[in-house]
This record gives sequence, structure tokens and C-alpha cells, in this order.
Amino acid sequence: MNIRCATLVLAALAALPQTAALAQGFKPSRTVELVVHTGPGGGSDVLARALAVMAEREKLLPVRMIVVNKPGGNSAVAAAYLSEKRGDPNTIGLFTGVWLQTPLVSPEAKVTLRDLTPVARLVLEPAVIAVKADAPYRTLAEFIDAAKKNPGKLKQSGGSNTSRDNVVRQLLQKSTGAQWAFISFPGGGERIAALIGGHVDIMVIEPEEAGEHIRAGNMRVLAQVSERRLPGFPNAPTLKEAGFDVPVVPQVRGMVAPPGIPAANVAYWEDFCRRLTRTASWQKYIADNQFEDGYQNAADLAKFYDEFTGRMRDILKDAGVKIVR
Amino acid sequence: MDILSGLLNGFAVALAPANLLWCFVGVFLGTVVGVLPGLGPPATIAMLLPLTFSMNPAGAIIMLAGIYYGAKYGGSTTSILMNVPGESASVVTCIDGYQMARKGRAGAALGIAAIASFVAGTVGVLGLMLVAPPLAKFALSFSSPEYFALMSLGLALVVLLAGRSIVKALLAALFGLWIASIGTDLFSTNSRFTFGRMELLSGIDFIVVAIGVFALGEVLGNMEAREETQLLEVPKGLRNLLPTWQDLKDCRFAFANGSVIGFLVGTLPGGGSTIASFLSYGLEKAVSRRRDQFGTGVIEGVAAPEGANNSETGGALVPLLTLGIPGSGTTAILLAALVLWGFKPGPLFIPEHPDLFWGLVASMYIGNVMLLVLNLPLVPLFAQVLRMPVYLLYPLILGVSLVGVYSASGSLFDLGLLMVFGLLGYLMRKLDYPAAPLILGLALGSGMERALRQSLMMSQGELSILVSRPISAVMLSLAVVILLIPLFGKLNAWRLRALES
Repeated sequence: MNIRCATLVLAALAALPQTAALAQGFKPSRTVELVVHTGPGGGSDVLARALAVMAEREKLLPVRMIVVNKPGGNSAVAAAYLSEKRGDPNTIGLFTGVWLQTPLVSPEAKVTLRDLTPVARLVLEPAVIAVKADAPYRTLAEFIDAAKKNPGKLKQSGGSNTSRDNVVRQLLQKSTGAQWAFISFPGGGERIAALIGGHVDIMVIEPEEAGEHIRAGNMRVLAQVSERRLPGFPNAPTLKEAGFDVPVVPQVRGMVAPPGIPAANVAYWEDFCRRLTRTASWQKYIADNQFEDGYQNAADLAKFYDEFTGRMRDILKDAGVKIVR
Repeated sequence: MDILSGLLNGFAVALAPANLLWCFVGVFLGTVVGVLPGLGPPATIAMLLPLTFSMNPAGAIIMLAGIYYGAKYGGSTTSILMNVPGESASVVTCIDGYQMARKGRAGAALGIAAIASFVAGTVGVLGLMLVAPPLAKFALSFSSPEYFALMSLGLALVVLLAGRSIVKALLAALFGLWIASIGTDLFSTNSRFTFGRMELLSGIDFIVVAIGVFALGEVLGNMEAREETQLLEVPKGLRNLLPTWQDLKDCRFAFANGSVIGFLVGTLPGGGSTIASFLSYGLEKAVSRRRDQFGTGVIEGVAAPEGANNSETGGALVPLLTLGIPGSGTTAILLAALVLWGFKPGPLFIPEHPDLFWGLVASMYIGNVMLLVLNLPLVPLFAQVLRMPVYLLYPLILGVSLVGVYSASGSLFDLGLLMVFGLLGYLMRKLDYPAAPLILGLALGSGMERALRQSLMMSQGELSILVSRPISAVMLSLAVVILLIPLFGKLNAWRLRALES
């Protein structure tokens, strides 16, 4: 090997650690802002604060992380805020399903998740289908039969008409031909009160919320909206096991970054999310709330987003909701 | 578990020095948070949550609960002194409280607010202790038809809040109802009256309208009068700065009224302290001998709503602790806090964690006493704020309003809305439209519409559901009666005129 080759090889070898250092070169230079779309005390806000505490306890970041509340517009304000922070690597957002759905139905919500930079998907939230403890239905099939005999008479309490509760109902109605009414209540407390008070017949509820009511004997679970049986509900069949061939619609949470972020920054945040999901505090959080670890990196999340919103559009159109985007 | 032994155990927990300290910290923070418009108990509790992880759960819940009911004490301060509602529950206090301040009776108003809050707060805790489980069951029988009837009853009180012109009051209420409809419809996800602005997608915040119409409207209206830099009267002497014995006697019914209505409305998962304070004010006005003077500075008009919004905290804890169902924003965070600490609030919470429950109950008695002791001596101090010349006071009011609204939402758009509603408040004063019905319409509007639509969905379109259920039928009939009262008055006057001629 002559001198020129040797120099080239040496130069290449010298450059390697430099490139590696460049890729690892991004570290947050100031306090990281974690943007949420709810006010203080709302669901996302509480998770974000817990996340910030976990990041500090497990020393995942060299800087502090603070929660920035940008409520309003059903997540449109938070999404717009992130969109304005183009190119800023020290700001990230915590998104939930509502970030994916609001732009589909509200013309004023102009910023979609794809307009921002998806970073990672963190959790999948399963759900269970519950009835009052003294209801005459022992299985979901019995409820569906009763609904077929009295179309429109049975009632389900839930969130807005684009929420996962209604999506599950739409899918079941379409696949079985049964029909029952959907009554929206803005808060989880009111939905549960409506069920336990006997004013509605069925609801889709988070497993964590249902736990205590089941233990006290006020509620019974007919089926679970999940791929596998949750550890807390070993006796309730999943929708597939119960014989209903409907896709499991997940409720998701994850991280998103402003647009115009270089790939190295995205990789950093992906790595942060990956390390976070492996910490003991996060595992405990997942187990306590009966979530499923739904980690997906940025590329998979983008694919998931396209597939999810495509499916949502069809389901919501069937439900009679006006799709604008 | 026997109530007495439970309570004694609870006091043993609550009187532990560490827990006493947390109780004091909580109620003190709560008072400060309540005085500041914009920052509310939900935000404060959420921000303190990480600190509570390292605390003993009893101390933590005692402190957070202290913030919750302490804020109700503080909320009346800016309402009375500056016509700026500190909390949405304190809006009704502005109506008579501020007028009392203008007449030089700010001290009496502040004092009666503290005393009424103490009496009602204690009654609320008593209720939580004695009747929580059966009341929770009763509250479950309330659903959308009953909520609609309850809010119709509240809206019918517009008639009592009317002042001189019922037509103007009804128009103001209708306008309030319209403002309530702005945003995204819950049932169909359609955008209503958003004019293409995403900031309006979740509607207009109640406190923005209330502060704009009350506080800014007042400031603008008074500025226009071009009065000389007049001081609002503040009488000298401690005796004039606190409520007199006569005042306390006048408020006997108001104390009872506020306590009971606040507690009952609080136990309803769909109720809230704003509705409770409006209903209590309306009832007080309906039964008072001086009902025509309400709105000009009548002390019962301060005692009733202030009592109601305090006993409502005791009531809101009933569904939270006996069923695990949160009724309001703050109880939702308390629920989240309990879950984060590893407890699961639900029907089995009290039997499984009696120390925590009884410790909390006992601490609420102690907390209410602490708040009375904290607030009463501060009354003369706060009343001195009004000695400021108006060229200092009004910019202060303006500043407090702007900061308060911005701190609640962080949005410049909301500040713009505040200005718009300030101008509206000014116009309403000039044209002699009463502001209270507008606020009432806004407060009840979305809840009423939702309840009506939910009821119709439950009955598949049959309106009869509203009268076939006993509770809602009774309340709706009462609402109709109240609406017809002025008609009887007019018929009587017409009859008398016919007799004379």
C-alpha cells in the first residue's frame, strides 16, 4: 500500500469517530419544553408531569424538562404552537388520539401530525366493555341480540362522536347489523354515573377506571377491546375471542416534534423514548394503568398514522360525521 | 364503622404536627390562589403533584384538599373589592359584594363572606361525614333530564335577577346562551360560530367573559363619568370594618340556604359551584323581605353564594370518595393524585382506608377554623385597598384582570376577547342591561343544551321524559312558576287599574 492510500485510510479512520460524534452531537442545550393540549390537571398534563419526574429520576436528560400547557381547540392550539417552533430541537409535544382526529373533522385545525415531525409512539390504551352489574346480559353477544330486537332503544354512554367509544360502537354495529343509541357526556365521571345509575345500558371504559367499580360489584365486564387479554381481566374475552371480527381500535399516546428538525435530533428523541420505556418507573406506570407498551419509532409511527387516519375517515363517514381533511 | 370512633381516629391523624403543618400550608396557598384571578386550584394542585410523591399520603391529601376549599374563601376578595371574580364560583358575589364596597361596607362584605364560608364549609364536612353513602346513591338517580330541569330552574331565576326590565334581562340571558354555544358541538363535532378561528374551537372561557363584563365594564363606565379622584368610602374604626350583629342576624337564612344548596348541588356529578352559587342567590332573593334591594348591596346577597360555593367542596367530595366519580375539575385532579399515590378511589375506598378518609374529614374541620382565623383579621387590611385613589385603583384592576386571564390560558387571543367583553360590559351599563343574566346564561348554557339533547337521545325524541320522571317534573314546574310570577304581578296591577276605572 503506498503512502496516498495509507493517508486516505487513516483520514477515513479519523473521520469515523467524528461522524459518530456528530450523530451523538445533539444534546438539548436548554430546558426542554413538553407541550400538552390540556390545561393543568387534564389527562395529558398529569402524564406529562409524571414523565418529567421519571426523566429526572432516571437521569434520562442532561437538562430539566418542564410541561407547557397549550389548551384549547381540541389540541389545535398545541399543534399550532409546535408548528410555529419550526427547527427548535428543545421543544417536543405529547400527542394523544385527539391530535389525530381533530384535523379530520374541524376545518379550523390546520396542523396535522404529519405536518409536524412524528417521533415515537409510546402507549396503547386498551378498553373494556362494561354493563351494570345487574344487567341481564352475560356476554356481548346477548347485548347485541337484545339491540337487534329493539333497534335504537339501548343506550351507550361515551365521549364525543369521534371518540374511540363511538368508533367501537360503529364497527360493532356495522359488522352485526345491530343498532343502539350513543349519548355523549363530556366527563368520565358523568359517563360512569350514567351507567351505574341505570340511565344507559353499556359503555366502553378504561380498565383502570373500571377496576374499582367492578371490585365493588357495581359493574361487570362483557368483553375487552384489546389484542390480548389484559392481566387484570383474565376472564373477559377479547372482541375476536367473543366472535366479533372487528379491528381493535387503539387509543394512542406518543411524542411529536416541531417541523424542520434534522434527522439527528429525531434520532435523539427516539432514543430518549426508547430508554424511557425501558425504565422501571415507566414499566410500573404502564402496569398500574393497565396500558400496553406500544413503542414504535418515528418511521413506523408515520406509517401507523397514515393507516389509522385512513381507517378513521371511513369509519367516521359511516357514522355520518363530516370529514374535512 | 361507627362515625364517632372514626372521627376520633381522624382527629388523631389530623392533629399530628406534620399534618397540621400541611393543613396550614394548603389553606394558606388556597387562599392566595383564590384571591388571584386566573390561577385556580386545579392548576395549583397539578403543579404541586410531583412534590407530593415523597410525602405521607395523609399529609398530601390534607394539603391538596386545603388548597381546594381554601381557594373558595379567597375568591370573594377581589370580587368584593374590585368587581373582578377570583374564581368562576365567585361571580355571583360580585353582584352585591361590590355594591357594598362602593357604599363603604367592604369590610362587612368581606367579613360576612368569611363567616358564611366557615359555617357552610363546616356544614359541608358534616354532610360528608354523616350522609355521604345514601346521598351518593340518591345523586346517581340524577341524570340528564334532572340536570336539565335543575338548570332550567337556575335560568328561571333570571326573572328574579331582572331588575327593572324583564325584557332586557331575558335578552341578556339569551345572549349569554348564545356565547355558550360557541365552540365544537360535543355530539356532532361540528364547529359552531368559530368564524374560522381555531382558538374558538373549545369555546370562550367563562372567566374571560365574567372578568370582562364585570370588572372592565365597571372601570370603563366609571372612567367615563369623569369623577374627580374620589376615594371610595372606607369608614374608620374596627367595628365598622366587620359585620355587625344586625348583619349576622339578617343572614341567618342565608347561612342555611348556602350550606344546604351548595352541598346538595356539589354531590351531583354534573353540578358545580357556579350553579350552586346562582341557585343559592336566587333562593335568597326569592324569600328575602328586601328582595328589591338585591343588586344594590344587600349583605345576604353575599352570604348566600359564598356559603354555597364552600359547602359545595364538601359535597363534591361525596361522589369522589364514595364512588370514585369526580364531579368537577378539581376533584378530577384529586382523583388523579390519589391514583398516582397508589390508592384507587371507588366504592371500597372508605372501608379500606378509613384512616385516610377520617383524617381528611377531621382536617377539613380544622382547616375551616384556620381559614376563619386567617381571613377575618385580614379583612380590615384588604378593605384599605379601597382607600387608593381611583387613578391607582382602576389601573390595578385592569392589570389584575389582564394578568389573571393570561395566566389561565397563556393566550393573547383570550386577552383580545377580554377587551371585547369589557367593551360589551360598558355598553350594557350605558344601555341599562343587567350583566348578571348574561353571566347566568353563559354559565348554564352549555350544560343545559347538553342535558336536553342527552335526555332526548335517551327517550328517542320524546319530550315527555322531562316530566315523566318525578324529580325533573317537580323542578320544571317550579321553574315555570317562577317564570310566571311577574305575570301575576302584572295581572294584579291590570285588575286594580280596571277596578279603579
